[in-house]
Amino acid sequence: MPRLELYSPEGLRIDGRRWNELRRFECKINTHPNSSDGSSYVEQGNSKVICTVQGPMEPKLRSQMNHDEANIEVNISIANFATFQRKKRSKNERRIVELKNTLENTVKQCIITTLYPRTLISINIQVLSQDGGLLSSMTNAMTLSLIDAGISMYDYVSSISVGLFDQFPLLDLNTLEENELSYLTVGVIGKSDKLVMLMLENKVPLDKLEELISLAIAGSHRLRDLMDNEVKRHGKLRLKNLN
Amino acid sequence: MEVADIISISKPSKFEDVDSDIEMSDGEEPRDNGIVTPGELVTDDPVWMKGHGTYFLKDNTYSSVAGNVSRVNRLLSVIPLRGKYQPETGDHVVGRITEVGNKRWKVDIGAKQDAVLMLGSVNLPGGVLRRKSESDELQMRNFLKEGDLLNAEVQTVFNNGSASLHTRSLKYGKLRNGIFLTVPSSLVIKSKNHSHDLPGDVSVILGVNGFVWLNKTNKSTSNSVVNNKLQSTIDSKGNYDPGKGSVSITRLEEESSWEIYSDKNDKISATVRDNITRYYNVIKALSHGELGITEQRINLGYQASLQFGNIGKLIEIESMENICQDIITNERMRGSM
Repeated sequence: MPRLELYSPEGLRIDGRRWNELRRFECKINTHPNSSDGSSYVEQGNSKVICTVQGPMEPKLRSQMNHDEANIEVNISIANFATFQRKKRSKNERRIVELKNTLENTVKQCIITTLYPRTLISINIQVLSQDGGLLSSMTNAMTLSLIDAGISMYDYVSSISVGLFDQFPLLDLNTLEENELSYLTVGVIGKSDKLVMLMLENKVPLDKLEELISLAIAGSHRLRDLMDNEVKRHGKLRLKNLN
Repeated sequence: MEVADIISISKPSKFEDVDSDIEMSDGEEPRDNGIVTPGELVTDDPVWMKGHGTYFLKDNTYSSVAGNVSRVNRLLSVIPLRGKYQPETGDHVVGRITEVGNKRWKVDIGAKQDAVLMLGSVNLPGGVLRRKSESDELQMRNFLKEGDLLNAEVQTVFNNGSASLHTRSLKYGKLRNGIFLTVPSSLVIKSKNHSHDLPGDVSVILGVNGFVWLNKTNKSTSNSVVNNKLQSTIDSKGNYDPGKGSVSITRLEEESSWEIYSDKNDKISATVRDNITRYYNVIKALSHGELGITEQRINLGYQASLQFGNIGKLIEIESMENICQDIITNERMRGSM
């Protein structure tokens, strides 16, 4: 079989999208009100992620206590049925540990951690279905559930992946595209151009990097708006219930 | 690259007025109502003082949580829609012992950090308010041990947000003869009195922290008696001095036997057990409907729940919503009369 036609001469991608088109993005906030302090559910195309936040709370171990800021812990679990082929994953798989560290570093920069000394904020991410953009959908879900938990943060962190096909940047890759192309994932603070996360696992020509990042930032800003709509919608609903 | 260039699709929204937000944000003044989200500019006027839920960058005040803006004089703060309970002095809370330490217990009150209960701020068996000796220190676990539930009052709140509790009144202390449940703390409305006797031989303690205790009414120390006495001391002095005057010393001697730290439940009859369960489900229904929880609403909910003979039926979403609806219509009718 010849190589997949990822980007047709007519400018259509393998799933019929344009180069600058996001997959269907849907998010819900406060999905698990009884079992967590904050929760969210994010769908980016066929990637589906649940995120719950516990805390700020008293750490179980003294070693987890930090005297002048909050201790933040991220746990990732990817369901066995998340990929096309059923696969058992251990928690200590190197890829997962790396994702976990990346997310921890990202979230530390956006939460105002000094407001929560001697506490633990535990973020649990459950991946239900995986179809590209894993890191970005996890970041988006994490942002939403932190907001739901009422934890102070400087701004939204929204994230998206971009890949490079030949000379063309493509936005929001799915698994098929991710396997073939080199791509990077960025995390953007709010509506600014500041990056809190940049993940590039393969090679990208240096002269294309700027173009890729600027596309990713624009895509992230759009995602931020979509998430903001959901937060506002949910907030209004709550206010209506209270009065 | 412009955001406008990005194509995105999402589910058609159900007649929502997202646009109305944009119009409101045109105003110069910080808004009173309407939701702000993290990173949203609240005001660019530097005269405002920055309260909770905001941060300050280059003369601009931004929101750091999703919630609504509150303005008190010059103080600008954003009250989050959801969040952990924040203790305040004087709050009546229910908590669970998590740790027994050096002259203190650690109590989980659902806040960001565990509260402390000092050995010096509890009533010990033996009556008179006495100094705590070394032997008391050694048998701390006999009074309260890990996992015990108690109700207490917040004595002080420290700078870092953690609280210190006291139980120096007969209405506070260890809890038994009942069942524990939690509701979101935002639903418990602060009032003068948080322990109520309900019809059906059941008492409830609605902790301000959202922890609720339902138990069989204790005949000898009925809440109302203790509270009336307490009330009078508060009124005459204007401020409440913990542990002082809330009850006469002689009475304290009578009550402060080992009894108050007993782990043994009294005999509870089947009807009282049923009533407790019914109240439990009613409070769960109130929290499901996100209605503020008050004594009156619990009573109304209890009456509404009587239409369901089977108490187990109350946990169904339909019946919970039914009860909430009944309460709301009932309150409307009372309000209009």
